[in-house]
Amino acid sequence: MLKDELKKFYEVLELPPNASLRDVHNSYMRLKKLYSGESIVLEPLSEEFSDKKRKKILEQIEEAYTKILAARSLEAARTEPLFTEGQAEEKLPETVDPAVLVYSGPGLMKARNAKNVSLNEISKELKLRLELLNNIEAERYETLPEAIYLKAQLRTYAAFLGLPQAKVVEDYLARYRAWKEKTALPKE
Amino acid sequence: MGMTAKDKPKEGEIWAIGGGKGGTGKTFITSSTGTYLAKKGRQVVLVDMDIGGANLHTFFGISRPKKSLTSFFEMGASLSDLIVPTEMANMSLITGDIHSMASDKITFSQKLKLFRQIMKLNAQTVLVDLGAGSHNNTLDTFLIADKMIVVLVPEVIAIENMYHFIKNSLFRKVKLTLKEYGFKEIVQHIWDRRQSYGIVNLKELIDYLKESFSYIGTILDHELSSFQVHLILNMVRNNQDIQLGASIKSVMMKYLGIPIHYSGYVEYSDAVWKSVRERKPFMLNYLATGCAKEIEVVVENLIKNADVERLGSV
Repeated sequence: MLKDELKKFYEVLELPPNASLRDVHNSYMRLKKLYSGESIVLEPLSEEFSDKKRKKILEQIEEAYTKILAARSLEAARTEPLFTEGQAEEKLPETVDPAVLVYSGPGLMKARNAKNVSLNEISKELKLRLELLNNIEAERYETLPEAIYLKAQLRTYAAFLGLPQAKVVEDYLARYRAWKEKTALPKE
Repeated sequence: MGMTAKDKPKEGEIWAIGGGKGGTGKTFITSSTGTYLAKKGRQVVLVDMDIGGANLHTFFGISRPKKSLTSFFEMGASLSDLIVPTEMANMSLITGDIHSMASDKITFSQKLKLFRQIMKLNAQTVLVDLGAGSHNNTLDTFLIADKMIVVLVPEVIAIENMYHFIKNSLFRKVKLTLKEYGFKEIVQHIWDRRQSYGIVNLKELIDYLKESFSYIGTILDHELSSFQVHLILNMVRNNQDIQLGASIKSVMMKYLGIPIHYSGYVEYSDAVWKSVRERKPFMLNYLATGCAKEIEVVVENLIKNADVERLGSV
């Protein structure tokens, strides 16, 4: 995406282009709430901000948020090595959902829902198959690719949502490997 | 009016505090801001322009001021002769018109004279308490200020009055500016026929003027670039109230196309009410309160034209 275009999306969210992912998310939530609900700030200007106008503003906010997150995840994919083990620090400022302690499949789903992002959006933006994303969240391990590929996909997914990538990969793969061991060497 | 903040020698600044609705705490904010600036070592003169409802002096324990703006309007006294000291170093006061003079009795030439003399006051910061209302005299005083400050409480009527106040200030600024450049009638003419021009609001009027007359566009771009409003939210009770500042900032940019600096907020507190009752400067006697700390943040942001940080999440 062109830099100027991206800058405009940050402007829609009323942020500078160097805003953290947390700011992006908070600003998105705040503006969405402001222009969709009945705020006392808008009440005196109800003629000025008609339903039609608010709908248009909300569409712009949605678009800006989606585009910024997508650009951020591409940036992360470019700047972060995907296959190195035990990365100590994360490149992106991230928001940790305190309610999600372990990024299992359901944990990821919970974190995603908290950010109000649908699997469809992720699938479209990250060019990942919807089916794969569904399987990741449902922990249908038998359908998932080898760990080395899965790791890259988890990272992209985590970056898109602004989740701690290393922890997502670590948590998820731990459960995946445990399952693998169990099925590969069944007890007699 | 033919006078702008630019005509004033640059060593001192005028800060005007208004906002439309009465009872939002403008006088409290003015006195506290002044006290904090004076404590920092700035030379401050407070001017009570709350015509008809002047009470700034009571915040400094002065019950019946011997001199007031009445002498300026009725006897032609010069403004600098009306300055009375306060107990606080670096800070003095011009008390308001306690004889409840009507704002529209002020003549045009009196107004010009008043502005000239305000600009010449010997101070680093002249703080003007505008009082309530959106009378043209109030708007004009707001417009000569280097910092245009509004005080708001988290209530829908106060918000509505503030929009009205800022919108009228901007409209007046546009009219006065174009008058100065010889386009006196054009704004009102187009505004009166706005339906046939397909214009709904002030922002569209300004956009129309800019597009249709490139010369006017250049003038307005230049003159309106300094039109920034600083917002203080007073008497907030929770995080939701605090967030309103950011929302107003967003809405005002979309509504009028003007930037708002959300300077900060001051929590609702009994200490304020108590200090007003005791007729003591709040910032001297209630330093340890949350309010006093919040006012410090507000004033520091005002100085830097900055916005309050750490709004928290929604």
